[in-house]
Amino acid sequence: MSDNIVTITDEELSFFIGSIRTFSDYDFTEYSEKSFKRRIEKVLMDYKLDLNSLILKMRKESDFLERIIKDITVNTTELFRDPKAWHTLKYRILPRLKDNNVINIWHAGCSTGQEVYSMLILLNEMGLIDKAKVYATDLNTDVIDVAKAGIYKYRFNLGYLDSFDKVIKENPYNYDEFKEVPYEKYFDIDKVQDSIKMKQFLKDKPVFRKHDLVKGGNIFYTKFDIIMCRNVLIYFNNSLQNKVFELFYKSLFDGGYLVLGIHESMLGPMTSKFEKKGSNYRKKLL
Amino acid sequence: MNDIKAVMIGGSAGSFQVVTKILASLPKDYKLPIFMCLHRLKHVRSGFVEALSIKSEMPVIEPFDKDPIRPGVIYLAPANYHMYIEADKRFSLSTEEPVNHSRPSIDLSFYTAAYAYKSKLAGIILSGANRDGAKGLKAVKDNGGITIVQDPKEAQVDTMPSSAMALTSIDYVYSTDQIISFLKKINNA
Repeated sequence: MSDNIVTITDEELSFFIGSIRTFSDYDFTEYSEKSFKRRIEKVLMDYKLDLNSLILKMRKESDFLERIIKDITVNTTELFRDPKAWHTLKYRILPRLKDNNVINIWHAGCSTGQEVYSMLILLNEMGLIDKAKVYATDLNTDVIDVAKAGIYKYRFNLGYLDSFDKVIKENPYNYDEFKEVPYEKYFDIDKVQDSIKMKQFLKDKPVFRKHDLVKGGNIFYTKFDIIMCRNVLIYFNNSLQNKVFELFYKSLFDGGYLVLGIHESMLGPMTSKFEKKGSNYRKKLL
Repeated sequence: MNDIKAVMIGGSAGSFQVVTKILASLPKDYKLPIFMCLHRLKHVRSGFVEALSIKSEMPVIEPFDKDPIRPGVIYLAPANYHMYIEADKRFSLSTEEPVNHSRPSIDLSFYTAAYAYKSKLAGIILSGANRDGAKGLKAVKDNGGITIVQDPKEAQVDTMPSSAMALTSIDYVYSTDQIISFLKKINNA
């Protein structure tokens, strides 16, 4: 990597965001400044463009616009990221929902889908997959296509298998307990092709839709028992986070769960309407 | 001496002992916030904050996204997140790709702290096996802050401090004990 660092000023950042808003549906006004700025700087370096040329090209070419939106939004996600968070789902949250006729789950900001597949695998192990309805949305259609295909790099993601073992095979409350679950039950590993491919029965399950948390509302006309939104809101400022919390509140059943990333927390006026346990927020019963 | 308002420390898993020694030497009523971005070994991601808390009289915290920066607290970048300092003196976390194979990335934490604190930041690079932190320390210098590296002669692995020395001008090359005296001095300034 070169030692030259491209940096943009606060004024250039505002100019970029303002320009994008005039010729597209994307509004990044209330994104966290530092990480958004850094993403634009990275795009400028990767494409070897200056800010004005970047804006011009995004205005003229809609494919390019979508590609840059994908590059400036953060799309990293893992299978069973933070096993402790999945233990909470496995031992605390899902057991409370097991007697429901239906369990509605929304992955908001699903990116390339690894969390969606993690959830489906866990639901299947718990015998709950048939009663689950799983919805997944993201701002960017490119990542949704990857999520639908369910194919990931193998070598780059060796940590997936370790996390799978921790969540699916082991019991953190009883180290003697160990459940042998072959990976092939859920995905095929091809070391030559360097791929992990999700099984068809998992891919058939979720409904994927394009959706913008900034503007979108609830597009599914149903309420949810669980909303998964991990490491998405960190890219938004407090005021935008609060709007999204309002949307989630309205979209949850009473007693429903909002699951955030392990280093995220709810701030502001909506906190009084949820009961907090770690990074899980339960909508209070009225 | 600049009127330093915050300290940013970068190092690798191998600098754990040095970090422990530094933290153990600082008084309970230390005034400045200290940000630490340390690489971790893949298989020991947790337990770091607990281990440091035992030795330190100051509180050691892995911040949550949007937490306000408080004086007298040691903030450790959480495993598997990048830690940014926003201009309004809050943290923001990010899960974007690792930089130089590292998440947290020392460079990214240093850039944002340098931008937020300008000349009021002291940046310190400790022992480590890769070049992460060199560009970050340059950003501290470019913004008028104070740059310090652990003496490569003392560092267990000197790639990190040596890379920083090659890239930017360093105000002080210090042993661990000198780093401790420096931190105490800026606290009383």
